[in-house]
Amino acid sequence: MTAKSALVLCMDVGFSMSNSAPGEEPPFELAKKVIQKFVQRQVFAETKDEMALVLFGTDSTKNPLEQDGQYQNITVHRNLMIPDFELLEEIANQIHPESQQADWLDALVVCMDLLKKQTEGKKYDRLVIVLLTDLCTQASPDELDIIIDNLKTAGITLQFFLPFPAGDDEEGGGDGDRGGSGHPGAGKGLSREQEQGLDMVKHVMLSLDEEDGLDEIYSFRNALEQLCMFKRIERRPTAWPCQLTIGSSLSIRIVGYKAVMDERLKKTWITVDAQTNKRDDVKRETVYCLDDDNETEVQKEDIIQGFRYGSDIVPFSKVDQDQMKYKHDGKCFAVLGFTKQSNIHRHQFIGNQVIKVFAPKDDEHAGVALSALIRALDELNMVAIVRYAYDRRCNPQVGAAFPCIKQHYECLMYIQLPFMEDLSHFTFPSLENKKFVPTEAQLSAVDSLIDSMMLVEKDESGEQKDMLKVHHIPNPAFQRHFQCLHHRAVNPGTPLPPMEPWLKAALERPEVISERCQAPLEEVKRKFPLTAVEKKKQLKTSAQIFGKDTGEPDAKKAKGDEEEEDYNLADIAEGSVTSVGSVDPARDFRTLVKLKSLPFGEVCQQLTHRIEQLLSNKNTHYYMKSITCIQAFREQSVKLGKADLYNSYLQSLKRSIPNRGLEVFWDLLVQDAVTLISKDEVEGSTVSKNEANQFLITDEKKEEVAAPTTEDTGDVDDLLDMM
Amino acid sequence: MAEWNAYYRNEDDEEEQEEGEQSGGMVTGRDSLVFLVDASKEMFIKEEDGKPSNFDMTMQVVRSVYTSKITSSYRDLVALVFYGTEQSKNPRNSFKHVYVYHDLDEPGAKRVQEVDELRGSKGAQLAAKTMGSGETSLGDALWCCANLYSDIKLRLSHKRLMIFTCRDDPHEGDSVKDRQGRTKASDLRDTGVIINLMHLMKPGGFDVSLYFRDIITPPEDESDLGLQLEPCAKLEDLQNRVRAKEKKKRVLNRLNLCLGEGINVAVGVYSTAVPARKPPPIKLYRETNEPVRSKTRVFHTQTGSLLLPSELKKAQVYGKKQIVMETDEVDSIKKFEDPGMFLIGFKPMEKLKLHHHVRPAVFLYPEEDDVKGSSCLFSALLKRCSERNMFALCRFTARRNYSPRFVALVPQEEESDEGKGQITPAGFNVIYLPFADDIRTLDAPQLPCASQEQVDKMKQIVTKLRFKYRSDAFENPAIQQHFRNLEALALDMVAPEDIEDLIMPKVDQIDTRLGPLVQEFKDLVYPANYNPETKPAAKRKTGGAEKKPKVELPEDELRAHVQNSTLGKLTVPVLKDACKKFGVRTTGTKKQELIDALIAQYFTKFML
Repeated sequence: MTAKSALVLCMDVGFSMSNSAPGEEPPFELAKKVIQKFVQRQVFAETKDEMALVLFGTDSTKNPLEQDGQYQNITVHRNLMIPDFELLEEIANQIHPESQQADWLDALVVCMDLLKKQTEGKKYDRLVIVLLTDLCTQASPDELDIIIDNLKTAGITLQFFLPFPAGDDEEGGGDGDRGGSGHPGAGKGLSREQEQGLDMVKHVMLSLDEEDGLDEIYSFRNALEQLCMFKRIERRPTAWPCQLTIGSSLSIRIVGYKAVMDERLKKTWITVDAQTNKRDDVKRETVYCLDDDNETEVQKEDIIQGFRYGSDIVPFSKVDQDQMKYKHDGKCFAVLGFTKQSNIHRHQFIGNQVIKVFAPKDDEHAGVALSALIRALDELNMVAIVRYAYDRRCNPQVGAAFPCIKQHYECLMYIQLPFMEDLSHFTFPSLENKKFVPTEAQLSAVDSLIDSMMLVEKDESGEQKDMLKVHHIPNPAFQRHFQCLHHRAVNPGTPLPPMEPWLKAALERPEVISERCQAPLEEVKRKFPLTAVEKKKQLKTSAQIFGKDTGEPDAKKAKGDEEEEDYNLADIAEGSVTSVGSVDPARDFRTLVKLKSLPFGEVCQQLTHRIEQLLSNKNTHYYMKSITCIQAFREQSVKLGKADLYNSYLQSLKRSIPNRGLEVFWDLLVQDAVTLISKDEVEGSTVSKNEANQFLITDEKKEEVAAPTTEDTGDVDDLLDMM
Repeated sequence: MAEWNAYYRNEDDEEEQEEGEQSGGMVTGRDSLVFLVDASKEMFIKEEDGKPSNFDMTMQVVRSVYTSKITSSYRDLVALVFYGTEQSKNPRNSFKHVYVYHDLDEPGAKRVQEVDELRGSKGAQLAAKTMGSGETSLGDALWCCANLYSDIKLRLSHKRLMIFTCRDDPHEGDSVKDRQGRTKASDLRDTGVIINLMHLMKPGGFDVSLYFRDIITPPEDESDLGLQLEPCAKLEDLQNRVRAKEKKKRVLNRLNLCLGEGINVAVGVYSTAVPARKPPPIKLYRETNEPVRSKTRVFHTQTGSLLLPSELKKAQVYGKKQIVMETDEVDSIKKFEDPGMFLIGFKPMEKLKLHHHVRPAVFLYPEEDDVKGSSCLFSALLKRCSERNMFALCRFTARRNYSPRFVALVPQEEESDEGKGQITPAGFNVIYLPFADDIRTLDAPQLPCASQEQVDKMKQIVTKLRFKYRSDAFENPAIQQHFRNLEALALDMVAPEDIEDLIMPKVDQIDTRLGPLVQEFKDLVYPANYNPETKPAAKRKTGGAEKKPKVELPEDELRAHVQNSTLGKLTVPVLKDACKKFGVRTTGTKKQELIDALIAQYFTKFML
């Protein structure tokens, strides 16, 4: 049913593999890296491919064929199974250079035997043996032809990885890669054994595949370059059979496949307990409560669903909703009509996929009919507007089916188009404004910039060459994700590594362009004066205030910044403070209270929210800032004669101290003698002066006992909800 | 099949993300819109050819704005005020001849109904009875509207007032009233209210310069004064004009387009086509129908104590190993660079492939207010790219902790309809380009091609069914139905209003138009006994409804599957069963989710 392959990695760990010229990495290390990278890729790609590992040149012998001194120094390290981190760890820790030598042809036979025995009765669509060796051991060519025959009958593909490029006379071989320049060992005299070995390898490979056999011989370095990428996400295309209909009586059988799709990572993060790393130790529970003073909890069974209709909330049960909802006949690909391609605007494409529509492969009549439609559309420069519904459960869409005629196939390409509700028509001021119209000199500066930055150029043969095909670049987010996961798996307890240089480079301008555009860029800079408009507040992002040296993780900082920006923009728009920002919350709070543009309660809530944010940082700098906030809170509360909000906040804050480990902060607060507002200060207060004075003295013992049982301590949300 | 479903789930995920972006983004405060409608006799004059009166037309527009606000932005505040009425009704009844029909509030079902009552000839009668037509004082009307704004306690982010009238000289030469109107208008504008004029047809033409030019807010751009606009004669025009103004264009974010070291053009990113979705349901308490709040707590299963974010970590399982990271590490992995656009180079337009589509495009327009000189450089780039038929290739990081994407900046020149306003604005459309991971390899079937005769016949069919596609021609039937249902429930209607499914093929019309062409085409491509409706030689289908026997999975087998990473071989029902049997909590239905859940369970139970 599912296609998978079986692969045997066969690595030479013999004595000669650790030889190297000074300053060069020995072949053993390179070969080990190749294997590691390869296995990593497989692990993260989560393919069903199975893998075995055979070592030769080992001091000991362990293989099913060993008998009478035959097949010595060959070890089957791992049988055919799906690769995992165990295998990676074994490769990292258990594979060392050893001191024997073994015949690589013998090793090949062991691998063939392994493949034959372990794949029996199961279905694989590919059988591969990968040999990594320096060919330094004399191999006996006696049985070479038998081996070749067996490889052929078993349908086994062979790949060789050598420390040197195979095509010494035809540099780089036929694999079309960047060529073999700079290979250590290339051009250097090979030993006699190696020459003989290489001849045998070539003989084997050419016998297996006359044309491209030599392409399957790689050098270690070449392989490493190609393996540095994690596998791209591959998904098996799923067929969607349907009928294309035009009116009631013309239908054509079709099959749709997703051809382009905004791909996501398959796995999501799970939450685990930080101490035990167990998922089951963490339980997430959602409770519902009424929006009243007591936050009366409501049982799940007593909850119904409703929808907002403007200011009204309409109770609308799931059952009713299902009954009344828009229903349709299910799967369809029905033509509504045809229109000129020029009526479809590319920037109005919607959705995140492109579907290619073919005729079923076993139905040539459908093929002809669909071909007639595709060609008719192509010749008329038109598209079909279709109603597309994946199935009965999915809402129908409207979309365009474009004709697509390629050298080897024809198809329709379906792309979703917007509904009226999806569009927003914005008008923008015209750019044909005298103030902005560029001068001739400016335009020519832009022209030379464009010339210098052309990514598509004709080469000597007059053929167009695209320097940067972005659709050949793997998604850097996935690469980085796997790089970090891999690092953490293999080197637990160490910080995450920096981004890989090749990945960084892949996202940059091609070097040629970078160099070429320097002068035109300077010219553009001269011709177009650009001055950033200074905005008073925007300069003060939290990052700038706290500096990059706070030791706070970058991500956290980034979040703070983002919020900050939002508030700033709002401020600029209104020309005044509109909410309690994170830069100077105390000042904002005072301003807002003065402005009275928001209810006092809300301003207080904003302030306490900031205080909680600050406290979550557990850093003296932030503690001090929190205290200024609390002082401002107190001062304004006293001024307005409203003690309740402040007092209850401070009380709940105190309760949460032991649970949140904020004792240091509390001590600071005590030093500053920031206590409750007493009756003496504000009439409405329920706190006596004595209580206020007692408040700062923590009865540590009592708190400690009480803390774990009281549920509402330490929950930031609760603190905020009180307001 | 599972994959397709997976897609629909993904889409939902994204929705949340996008909504989060919008609500957590620039938007603070509510938008507000006041309709100030002339209720003088002139507004009720009916055209001879049965066309609706100006008043009727206005009410239709008001209704459509109400309903569209309900569907797309219910939190916006809308008011409906009439001036030039006989009766008066306003908060302190301090203004004569001003009738506040609806004060500033979120539009709801009742309001829609009330506007409906003002439509048609019955509506005109009702208006005459309740409000009547009387003296006009625009100054009072504007003052009254100013009070509506100041009575609002909420923070308003965008204040707009639209005047609907067909009288270009409302006070008929009364200079005191004229002056008063001008003063009040300028007061309103000073408080940030944008005043627009929706002038309607009047015999002899509507002269904006006579009076209203001093009332309205001058347009953002001096060259486009809005004054030369013709008055609206058709409902559709009025609707379009109102729609264009009614929504505030919202910048998704502002960032720099960096051409090179020190050359930063400030740009705003706007989204012009975003799939509209059903709003999410709200949880209500059964007894009172009041909304409930949800509180989510994370606590330790064993000790029952609450867990703070710092006591949690994130993990993924690969190759039978659970890999654990700190929460902030998970964030930092996603971060590549600060938000912005970086110019990589240029390519000719033909290099932009039609099928390189992964998500809806966004629109780019310079922000002169952030970096002075941006508009000029932007304009020069736009001009040259457009003339030379090029697009600019950029690396684009939309927000913090978003990974970069490559995008094509495709130039779009301004297009205007004579006298009717802008059709497309000048700027770059930002087309997202796929990465290698996004492109799937397909095996295209090898099939015969059609002959020219067959193609020509199809061309006849295609030509018969031509129409001019307009992107705003199709409503989303699922969303329309949803709101009709809500409307019916909210207004206690017997049944929801019928919706017209505009994306249903008009089969009868198609059949009639095509006539014998269909048979002729079929004769050309299909053999006599061929029926495309049925599957050729029913293949695997045996036994019909007979269900597969339930497969039970013993624990040791499951364990073996986990150890050999072969859980993927099992079918979804078997996995679900296994989850149930071994008490694995999972909310997922996707295969991968089930597998993940089982593996996670395995690790906690057997290995650790």
